[in-house]
Amino acid sequence: MNRFKCAHLGWLATCLIGAMVAASYAQDIRVPNIGLAGESATISTTGGGRARFYLLGPGVSRNTEVRLGEEISIPAEDLRVAGEYLALLCSGSCRSGTFYVSAAQPASLTFLVHPSRVPVAASDAISGVVLAFDQFRNLVLAPETINVQLSAGNATLFSRSIRTQNGAAWFRATSGKLAGALQVTASMGELSTRRAVQEAASDPCNLRIKGERTGAGITIETEPVHDCAGNAVPDGTIVTFTASGPGGKSTVDAPIKQGIARAQIEASGGEIISAASGVVIGNELRFGAQP
Amino acid sequence: MKRRDEGTCTSIYAFLCVPRVAILLTLFLTLSGHSYSANTTTAGQLEIDATKAGPRALEALTERGILRDYRFAWASMTQALEFNTSDPLEGPFTDEAKAWLQETVASQQKAGLSQRYVNQNHKLVVVFYAPEGDLIELQDNADFQRQVLDGRNTIQEEHVVARYIVLMTPSADRWVVRQLQAVPHF
Repeated sequence: MNRFKCAHLGWLATCLIGAMVAASYAQDIRVPNIGLAGESATISTTGGGRARFYLLGPGVSRNTEVRLGEEISIPAEDLRVAGEYLALLCSGSCRSGTFYVSAAQPASLTFLVHPSRVPVAASDAISGVVLAFDQFRNLVLAPETINVQLSAGNATLFSRSIRTQNGAAWFRATSGKLAGALQVTASMGELSTRRAVQEAASDPCNLRIKGERTGAGITIETEPVHDCAGNAVPDGTIVTFTASGPGGKSTVDAPIKQGIARAQIEASGGEIISAASGVVIGNELRFGAQP
Repeated sequence: MKRRDEGTCTSIYAFLCVPRVAILLTLFLTLSGHSYSANTTTAGQLEIDATKAGPRALEALTERGILRDYRFAWASMTQALEFNTSDPLEGPFTDEAKAWLQETVASQQKAGLSQRYVNQNHKLVVVFYAPEGDLIELQDNADFQRQVLDGRNTIQEEHVVARYIVLMTPSADRWVVRQLQAVPHF
């Protein structure tokens, strides 16, 4: 701010005129309204002479000398990040202006899907979150519609449009009935992002066993183990065989291999043999005492 | 105990007092690690309102963790922008937030500028908490005193009311800020 020291009243008029002239040359700054990320902007200044121009914003700091009264061009690369920018113009005193840059058009989707492996026919077991970002990785806050689709092979299991709110949208879905790869796709216009969820067989269903006496005891095995939707239960799933007889109770754990679990039980007396896997109990077999 | 310490400091061993305090302080700061930054920050008040959190409800323990880590993030950012060093950004920030803060620090260094954020107050509202708890979105109604320095000269000082959209994700042992985007309004 220019200061005028007026010692005498006679100089008052001169001082006032001088102050008015100085004020007319005092610097001022006019910043743009909200701009879009990646677009250049112009800041206009008033006044005369030289001044120092500062720009501070996310990812940018500028400190340059400018000529007052001329426009200051801010290149697009300085305005890539959405957020608040502070423009300062200093010549003796400083004038400031604040403006915002908002995200540009969506250019990519961040898609979080859980879980990566899910049992078939599990209610609301799959969830996803979609976030839209522009080409500079600014979060797009304007509401956008995103189409979510779950498909297995050529069959579409789920399709829904969800709308972003504060930049995020989410969904829940029930898994399909067939084991295998489930494609989960989020799309918006030409943008598309895909995730895969492995659907695995659920718990065994209708567990059935068969067996026969052998020289060493009883050989017992399951029929091919499936879940209730007919999917083969994964190898490695444990089946527990329990033998109850005069000698007491004994159990054997056997993993499923190629769809079937097998065990050898040493017993010569009468035995009742049952099988269980998880919460599912199979049929019972009764063997008489060995002659 | 206190009296005895005072006695020692006024004795001929008074010269030991300052180094001892300095040593203890250094030891404390070293041992306390990142909490030093968080506790010495000018990020004064932090409040969080999780009543709008959804679709997943925010548990009290998680809420405290987010408050703690968000406070730490601001303390670290404040240090980084004041002293023009990227070191404090390692840890509390990741992804885009870290990238643009590092750019800001580098460009401030080049331009000979720095910024101070003092007397900070943050009122956080949880607007989204992902179903699996792997992402949280906050709205931060912040106000602080911002000083802009050209070299050692303060060229601007103003009270700022700012609004931020914040994305945080859990890392191994803390929540980290992935996005910190100022907006004119919510």
